[in-house]
Formats: sequence, structure tokens, C-alpha cells
Amino acid sequence: MLTQQILDGLSKFYPETILSVTILVIVFVELFFKKKTRVSGWIAMAGLAAAMLFTFLQVNIPAQTIFFQMVAVDPFSYFFKVLLILSGFLIVLFTFLSDEIRSSEFKTQEYYALLIALTLGGFLMASSVNLLMMYLALELSSLSSYVLAGYFKKSNRSSEAALKYVIYGGVSSGLMLFGISLIYGICGSLDMFAISAYLSANPVNLITLLIAIFLMLAGFGYKISAVPFHFWTPDVYEGSPMPVTALLSVSSKAAGFAMLIRFFLVAFQNAGHPTITTEGLHQYITLPGLHWPEVIAVIAVATMTLGNVVAIWQDNLKRLLAYSSIAQAGYMLLAFVVVSPQGISAMLTYLAVYLFMNLGAFFAAILISNKYKTENIEEMKGIGYRSPLLCVSMAVFMLSLSGIPMTAGFIGKFYIFSALINNGYIWLAIIGLMNSVVSLYYYIKILKNMFLIRPQGDTGAVSFGAGYSVLLLALAIPTIVLGIFFGPLTKFAEYSVQIFGLK
Amino acid sequence: MLPNWLARPALAGLGLSPGYSFILYLALIFNHNLNFLQFTFENILILFFSLLAVFGALMMVTRKNPITSALYLILNFFCVSAIYLLLRAQFIAIIQVLVYAGAIMVLFLFVIMLLNLHDESKLSEKITYKKLSAILISLLLFSVLAITVYFSYMNKYREIHSSAETIGTIEVIGNELYTTFSFPFELVSFVLLAAIVGAIVLAKKKFD
Repeated sequence: MLTQQILDGLSKFYPETILSVTILVIVFVELFFKKKTRVSGWIAMAGLAAAMLFTFLQVNIPAQTIFFQMVAVDPFSYFFKVLLILSGFLIVLFTFLSDEIRSSEFKTQEYYALLIALTLGGFLMASSVNLLMMYLALELSSLSSYVLAGYFKKSNRSSEAALKYVIYGGVSSGLMLFGISLIYGICGSLDMFAISAYLSANPVNLITLLIAIFLMLAGFGYKISAVPFHFWTPDVYEGSPMPVTALLSVSSKAAGFAMLIRFFLVAFQNAGHPTITTEGLHQYITLPGLHWPEVIAVIAVATMTLGNVVAIWQDNLKRLLAYSSIAQAGYMLLAFVVVSPQGISAMLTYLAVYLFMNLGAFFAAILISNKYKTENIEEMKGIGYRSPLLCVSMAVFMLSLSGIPMTAGFIGKFYIFSALINNGYIWLAIIGLMNSVVSLYYYIKILKNMFLIRPQGDTGAVSFGAGYSVLLLALAIPTIVLGIFFGPLTKFAEYSVQIFGLK
Repeated sequence: MLPNWLARPALAGLGLSPGYSFILYLALIFNHNLNFLQFTFENILILFFSLLAVFGALMMVTRKNPITSALYLILNFFCVSAIYLLLRAQFIAIIQVLVYAGAIMVLFLFVIMLLNLHDESKLSEKITYKKLSAILISLLLFSVLAITVYFSYMNKYREIHSSAETIGTIEVIGNELYTTFSFPFELVSFVLLAAIVGAIVLAKKKFD
């Protein structure tokens, strides 16, 4: 029985197993190389590719839990696995192409091992259905990201970033653990389904439960950098090496969202009641009297407003992108407020789009800092004339992040706002739209510096190798194509809404 | 400025220990064995360890030398662990030694070593409100424990749950750990691997 259960679980666990093996292989293999090599990077790529292949084999697997209800294998986790692998893959490529990392004297084997460990942690965050598993997965991905943030110890800034990240991370994961212990104390179980069954059947002290939810939100909020748990974001994003910043802004954010969605929808669903469908709109049934969607709404509005308003004053590109990523998290949280499959699919669509545009923006930033040795927006005057391809791509990413039509970002925002309006949250949609307008200012400011001001001094063209251009286009083209031909993506997102244990 | 006898418990940040042990001792007498006057061998042992724990805690907060304090704290931890063992909570007893006497104590000693504290005279010049809040927190913990003991004394929680006798044993925990929680158990190894690799990466001066 026990062996059967574990073997059955393992047969649905190939992607994660492959990633685990990859970590071990990377740690060992480069012991045999004296000089700095890229071997571990290639192994990481191979591992990610193999994991991707085995993830694709899971495409039509029926939703189920494995390993004694610890981990769910369902379309929802499938979506995030694809997203995380894609992002991991791109980050490895970024690392190959980043001068910042190439010029450092450090060997990068542990860097890749930790990168894969972060991806593995993200996989498990997206699929765990047990609070203990959730916490461990969060710790796995957090521990790896602390080290990645401070990996290149040459600069004090990087070490400072890592230290800040550790302290904030430690505090918020401690708070989350306290919240988990309160929920365990209330419900007597760590299993999300048991928690939902208990809460639906028994009256509990709502104040204690709300305190527990707030404490757990500290953990989630820190991962997705939502206000008021965002303070680490700008400093860490600014100090970390750029590929790591890109990784933090996409992979760990996506995994945090996955965990947040699954926890709130599964643990706080009203298990005793059948699904109600009104006017063709399917809504998840949550516990009565527990106003968590309102809490999320407040956090979402605060997050995007703060992110957008503070971003206006930034002139460091990395800091600006940090605040922009805070604001983007706010938009995604907005869609969660409606607690319906439509909202969740809008969130998933936005996350997929966000992967391309945000990674693209960071890659463009990496290239600018490679070639022009600057992160300051004021020093980017006129570089649109010197490297047109780079700056046109940057324009695509910026316009997409602000949500201009004909770009993928517009589609993402469109789905989020239509989900809000369909479910009667018109005020939230208006606040979101106003925020988008504000955000346009600082995104356009970069473009203004790049294109509208003639370069002074050196005006020679600066070009890149073919590899850089190909990767840049590989990110810019989907950002445009998904803005026009978005059917498959939204279909995929709608399919991926199926969370195990939810009707 | 606070009087010295009050400030000292706060200084170490561990002023909680005496109250803690004392309450544990009270809890034992009033609650666990139900009859105060029954001087079985076990009760005498519990009493002995409780008194030793109180002694250790008091010595800890009154010593001038921080290292002596730390050693008395270890004594206190071991006594508390012995009490857990007598209460048939084997697992908690072992974890108490491993985590507190092992890990946390080593951390304290490291801090003492790194700060190079010969005596605490420098520390007592620190701001008063810190001491005050430390005392307040100690009092808070004390009152929470006192209320619990009071209610158990009032027969509220006198019924011991049937599973309470078995739940603390290592067999039960081991059984759960290797069946239901086998997967998280394996995952912990990866968390530790990431932590070890990370610690080495950050601690090593230069890669060659």
C-alpha cells in the first residue's frame, strides 16, 4: 500500500525528479573542471529541457494528488511548471550573455544549481496542497534566491541586497509559519482539503482565523512583493546581478501567486455547498463571513498605486523596473478579488504575458548595461539612434508593460479589467485603469530619453552579436504576437484554471 | 534607570526562563499528577529537576560573566528537557536538547565570543525602554502561563485526552514521518542542500 502509493506518486513526478537530479549533477560535475567553464550552464539547460519534455507529457493527466495528499498534479500546476521552466531557461541564457557575470572571477556551478533549486521550489510551491509542503517549498526557493542575490560578492551592493533579502525573508517566513501554526491549531490539520472541510462544518473564531490569514499573507506578500511586504524589492532588485533580478521578478513571483491562489481558493472554499452559477458566471464559493477578497482588494490597490507612484521618481533603470514589477503584482492581485474562474484565468494570462515582457525589459537592461555601462535613465539619451534594434525592443516591452493596444500587455490588462467589470467591481477597474495611465508616464520617459533626444558625444552605432539579437527578438516577437493572436494563450489559461479539489 | 536586579533579566533577553520553569513546576504539582501529596519516585524526580531548573535560571540572570550565564542556561535547558521526558514527551525532550542546548546555545556563545564581552557593564548602559519592554514581555508570558495553570487547577482541562499518552513518543512521530510525511521529509534534504551550498558560496572568500 505504502510502496504502491509512493511508486504511483513518483511516476507522476518526473519533472521534479529530473530537476532534483540536475541539481546534484551540477554540484558534482564541475568539481572535475579546473577552469571556469560553462559546463554547468549547459547541464542546467539540458535538465530544464528534459523537465520541460516530461512536463509536456503530463498535459492531459487527470487532476489528482500524490504522496499522501501532499502534492497535486493538475492543469493549474501544469501551467506554472511550463511558466517556471520557460523563465528558468531564459535566465540561463541571460546569464550566458551577461557581461556582469562573465567578467566576474567566480565559478558559476553553484549559481546554476541554485537556479534549478529555485525552479524546483517554484514547482512545489505551485503544486503543494499541504501547508507543511507549502512552507518547505517556499523555504527551498527563498534560500536559493537569497544566495543568488548575493552570489557575486565583488560589489558591496550585491551583498547588501542579499542581507536585506535574508532579513525580510526570514521575518516574513517566520510570520507565515506562525500563521500556519494558528490554522493548524484551529483546524487540527495541515491538509488544505481538511481545513476547508473543518471550516465549513464547524463555527470557528473568525478573529483568530483572520489573524492567521494576515500572518500567512506576510509570506505570500513577500514572495509576490505586495504592499506592505514590498520594502525589500527595490534594494534587492538594484543590488543583485541582473539575471537574478529578472529571475526574482518572474519565477519567484509566479510561484508565489500560484501558492496564494491555491491556498485561498482551496482552503477557504465552502465545501458543504454546491457550486452556484449565476447569469453564466461561475464563481467559487467561499466561506461566509470571512472577507478575504476584500483584504486582497485593499492590498492590490495599495500595491499598484504605490508601485506606480514611486516609480515616477526613479532614474535607475533597475529600481524603476523593481517598482514597476510591484505595480504589476498589484494588477494581478486585482483579478484575484473576483474569486471566479474568469478572474483566475485572467491572472494566468497576465502572468504568461508578464513573463515575456518583464524578462524582455530586464534583458534589454542587461544589454544596455553591457554596452553603455550605465543603469541611469538620464544617461541613456539618444541611444535609440546608436542601437536601434535594442531600443525598439525596449519600446515594445515598455509599451506592453503599460498596456498599450497591439501588445501582449494590453490583452493581459483587458482580461483582468473585463473580469472585474463582469463581476461588478467597476471601481476597482477604474482604479486599475487610472494606475495604468500613471504608469505610462515613467515607461514613456525611458523611451523619450532613448529616441527623442539626439545623442551627444559619441554617436557611433553600437551593435551586438547575433545571439543577443536572436534572444532579444525571441522575447519581443511573442510580446507583439500575443497581443494580436492571443486565442491559444487565453484558451490555455482557461483550461489551467482547473485546480484540484475545486468544482 | 531601572534597579539592577530588575534590569539584569532583561539584559540577557532571557528573563523568561525563571518564570517559565517556576510555572512548569507549578503546573506539574497542580495538574499532571493530580495529587500533590503523592510522593512517588517520579514526582520527586520532577520536583528535583524543577528546582534545579529554577536554580539554573536564577544563576543565569545573576552572574556577571556572560559565559557563566550561558553555562547556567544550558543547565536550565537540560533540566527542562528532563521534565519533558518525565512527562512522557520524549520527542520534545530530545528536540529541546538538540535545538536549544545545541543550536541556539552555540549561537549565543558565538555572539558572546564575537562581541568580546568580558562583563556586562557595557550592556547595562543601554536604553531603558528596551529593558522595560523585555520585562513586559516576560510578564505577558508569565500571565499566559499562569492563566493556563489556573484553569487546569479549576478542573477545566483535567481530563487528559486518550491520545496524549502516545502522541509524544518517538514511535508515533517516526511512523508519521516515514509514511504520510515521507515526501516533505525528503524535501527537507533539498532545502538543507540548498542552504549548505549557499552557505559555502557566501562564506568562501574566492573561487579558484
